[in-house]
Amino acid sequence: MSGQQSVTAPLPALRRLLPQKNIFEDWIKQRVRRKRAPTRLPFELRYKNVYVLPTEFGLGFGLMLVFMALGGLNFNNNMALLLVFLLATIAQFTTFVAYRNLAGLRIEDVQAAPVFCGQDAQFKVFLSNQTDQRRFILQAGFGKTQVCTDLALAECAVIRLNHATSRRGWLDMPSFRLETRFPLGLFKAWTWVFPGSRCLVYPAPARNAPPLPRTGQGPSGQARKGDGDQVHGLRKYQLGDSLQRIAWRASARHNELYSLEMETPSEEACELNWSALQGLDIETRLSVLTAWVIAADQKQMSYSLVLPGRSVPPGNGPEQRAQCLELLALFES
Amino acid sequence: MSRADKRNITLYGGLGSEGVHWTIATLTISLLPQLSSMTLALAVITVLPVAWRLLAQARKWRPIPLLLRVLATAVAVTVLVLTYGGLVGRRTAVTLLVLMLSMKLLETFRSRDARIVTCLSLFLCATQFLFAQGIAMIFYMIACLLSALIALTYLQRWEAFRPLGKTPGTGRGMFAEFGSSARLLALAVPIGVAMFLLFPRWGSPLWGVPEDALDSRSGLSDTMSPGSIQKLFMDDSPAFRVQFKGTMPRHSELYWRGPVFWNFDGEEWTTSYLSRNLLAMRKPDPQNAAYRYTMQIEPTEQRGLFALDYPALLPSHTHLTMDYQLLANRPLTQLRSITVASDPNFTDSPKIKQTLLRAALELPEGYNPRTAAMMARWRAEAQSDTAIVKRALAYFNRENFHYTLNPPLLSRDTVDEFLFDTRKGFCEHYASAFTVMMRMAGIPARVVTGYQGGWYNDLGGYLLVRQSDAHAWSEVWVRGAGWTRIDPTAAVAPQRIEESALDLLTQRRHLLDFSWMRNARNTFDLLQRGWNDWVIAFNHDRQSRLFTGLGWGIFDANKLAAAMIAVICMVAAAVFLLMPLIARIRAARKQDAVLRLWQTFSAKLRKAGARAVPSMAPKELAAAAGSQLKHQAEEIDRIAELYSLCRYSPQRGDQSELKAMIRRFHPRPATQHH
Repeated sequence: MSGQQSVTAPLPALRRLLPQKNIFEDWIKQRVRRKRAPTRLPFELRYKNVYVLPTEFGLGFGLMLVFMALGGLNFNNNMALLLVFLLATIAQFTTFVAYRNLAGLRIEDVQAAPVFCGQDAQFKVFLSNQTDQRRFILQAGFGKTQVCTDLALAECAVIRLNHATSRRGWLDMPSFRLETRFPLGLFKAWTWVFPGSRCLVYPAPARNAPPLPRTGQGPSGQARKGDGDQVHGLRKYQLGDSLQRIAWRASARHNELYSLEMETPSEEACELNWSALQGLDIETRLSVLTAWVIAADQKQMSYSLVLPGRSVPPGNGPEQRAQCLELLALFES
Repeated sequence: MSRADKRNITLYGGLGSEGVHWTIATLTISLLPQLSSMTLALAVITVLPVAWRLLAQARKWRPIPLLLRVLATAVAVTVLVLTYGGLVGRRTAVTLLVLMLSMKLLETFRSRDARIVTCLSLFLCATQFLFAQGIAMIFYMIACLLSALIALTYLQRWEAFRPLGKTPGTGRGMFAEFGSSARLLALAVPIGVAMFLLFPRWGSPLWGVPEDALDSRSGLSDTMSPGSIQKLFMDDSPAFRVQFKGTMPRHSELYWRGPVFWNFDGEEWTTSYLSRNLLAMRKPDPQNAAYRYTMQIEPTEQRGLFALDYPALLPSHTHLTMDYQLLANRPLTQLRSITVASDPNFTDSPKIKQTLLRAALELPEGYNPRTAAMMARWRAEAQSDTAIVKRALAYFNRENFHYTLNPPLLSRDTVDEFLFDTRKGFCEHYASAFTVMMRMAGIPARVVTGYQGGWYNDLGGYLLVRQSDAHAWSEVWVRGAGWTRIDPTAAVAPQRIEESALDLLTQRRHLLDFSWMRNARNTFDLLQRGWNDWVIAFNHDRQSRLFTGLGWGIFDANKLAAAMIAVICMVAAAVFLLMPLIARIRAARKQDAVLRLWQTFSAKLRKAGARAVPSMAPKELAAAAGSQLKHQAEEIDRIAELYSLCRYSPQRGDQSELKAMIRRFHPRPATQHH
């Protein structure tokens, strides 16, 4: 949004003189943090936690009204004064409208699915409007606005707020801002919500991880479908299937893409062991292990994870994967 | 998305049609009054960018290059300078604002620019009140306000949604947008009015008020030539309104004295240097003043005020010239209210200075020989000055003179031609001819212009004097009696003085010039007068008088400000507390409405003989009624279902649909079908 900045910065020279951030807003944000952290959900917006301040446009509008009033007073022009007074009163009322547009809104829940480090954590905020009024132009984001929505009567909405991740472990959701400049954009009513939710960030999987260690032990005699060396049969093409695996002849016959399903004679199970990666630093080791967990899970192998002090017994499936990745994410040496 | 695409979205697709259209609507409404006072070239220059921007929105055109925009603006300013001969003056400044705003539309492709245009349109609206503050302007103000509110709402919508790459919906839709803006305005009115009454006004302006407040001078000019008053006769705008305290003179005595003319060049009458520069030496004694009255004078940009003969008590910031014309110290740029007392029995200059006497006898050489010959004859035959005056009036009365709105054009010897050839004229012809005749006979005479009569508004108890009441008469100087008013028009057409010039007319001045319409307009002038009194002329003095009158003691600015803040807080608190309450009551009434519909429905069923007891649940009732009215069971079921929806989940049930269904429902007894 490079164009965006030039829109809000009409006088760069003048702006440099002004404080870069709104001190009021910072003050309020800190106050919210200190007093009510974390917010208990569900959270209903009330007069205590909705703040209203003029926007830049609102300040400009106010300045124009001052000039108009000065002119009107000087020329004793009562019609012009009447216009100014009406405009000022309307502007004043919009603070109330903006406040009412937020007040009564409920934040039911905030959830976030685990992500790998480097991906954006996505916090889903469940908003509900159980009142008898419609809500307009609700904006939300961590600092910068990411989402904008209207809410009809008795409507629930999920807004998704993205936050970059830079390290594994728990990512505490920073306080986010729910704001409206409805109706005229002269005032913004906003609140900072700090729900105390968190998102689990797995280590980023290593790019060029060494192949899975095949230890060959394990009881499983069942063949695993997926990657492998032997053709097992045909199945419908799925996104992600390698082009080399497409059964072109069969596909042509049926007018639909089919891919060859390969089979690994997988009586083997693998053990993903911390100590197998001697000589690497901790984070790299965790990255490689993460990549291995993903690979093993894709191959539907049975695998176990052994970390210093902690281990996950052999198994497979989504639970196994989640358990292993969580262990890796929260690993502390 | 490439960078160029992004740029295209922020620029060309950058503003929604609603926002653009309402911004343009706001600008167009606010510049309408200004447009009507612009020259054609400037008007075209103003309208073109507006049209271009509308087309650009419809056809998704790109903005024209910066160079062209600068060029267009330069051309516009050049035409402006050429038209007004500079950049000074109020009208010029406002026209410049209009042109700049119009040019701004050429680059209005972002919500920020559109907001600027909308706000400055409101500013433009305020500047228009410098030129006109009539009661009709309130509608103009409301139109501008509503349009601006709607525009700003749409622009805000666009600004919030667009940077996220989303196309905002229309929100509530235009009618709802209009409704909520109107409601916002309606809510603002009480506080706005409270602020208006209580906001401390300045006793004197902070910076100077320019003297060219109005577009053109209206009212009587400071010269008189044939046709100058006749022009005013077409003008029905009010000149002033008068409220008498105590007795009011007879209609034929209502001579509102304006400019007095001494110098005649054969065609045009002008004021004299002495008249302009000498003040009245003697003034009537205020004790003898028979008439006291308050005048509300419309702005004319001239200094002349119009008082009855002879002003005894002068209002502040005025002076009296040596020929007893009341002048303000500064031109009247705004509505002004003055209180005057007049003594009609005062003798103006029982003795006269030689210089003035000479001035009152002077005539240009070689003009009007036939009149001169006639006057020489009269002079020889007459015993006294008074006899000549009487003879002249009788001459006008007896000979075949006409009082007409469309006098023939006169060439060089205007008085000769008028007296002997055309004999058709307006008051200025008679006054001019009479004065010339007197001077030729050696009687000092001068022409006085002003207004005569007025329309008495019974409802408001005041006299309304319009520009069309403009009049011209003569004064002759008689030894002992001083300057004496002689109205030759009265000799020709006495009704002019008894009633009004308009009532004399047999033909209409324009298509819609009926006497009932004139009367209706005169009656409605009451509203305009109240408006003038309460809105336009509301100033520091009036404000303090208002609160002193209420018995609240002297109100200084501090007290006023405190009162204003108190009232605003009270009204705001009331509105803020009442609004949720009203919303709740309305929601409850909505529920009740559903219940009432259901009761109507039950009553219909009962009438048809079905069992419909209030204690029954909707489904239960539907089942019971359905078993009795089998052929309508399906319809009853549907109504019951919709009712349940409306009652228990109001957001999903359509109440108007329920209403329609129940209205359509007419139970037919089953027997008809057998």
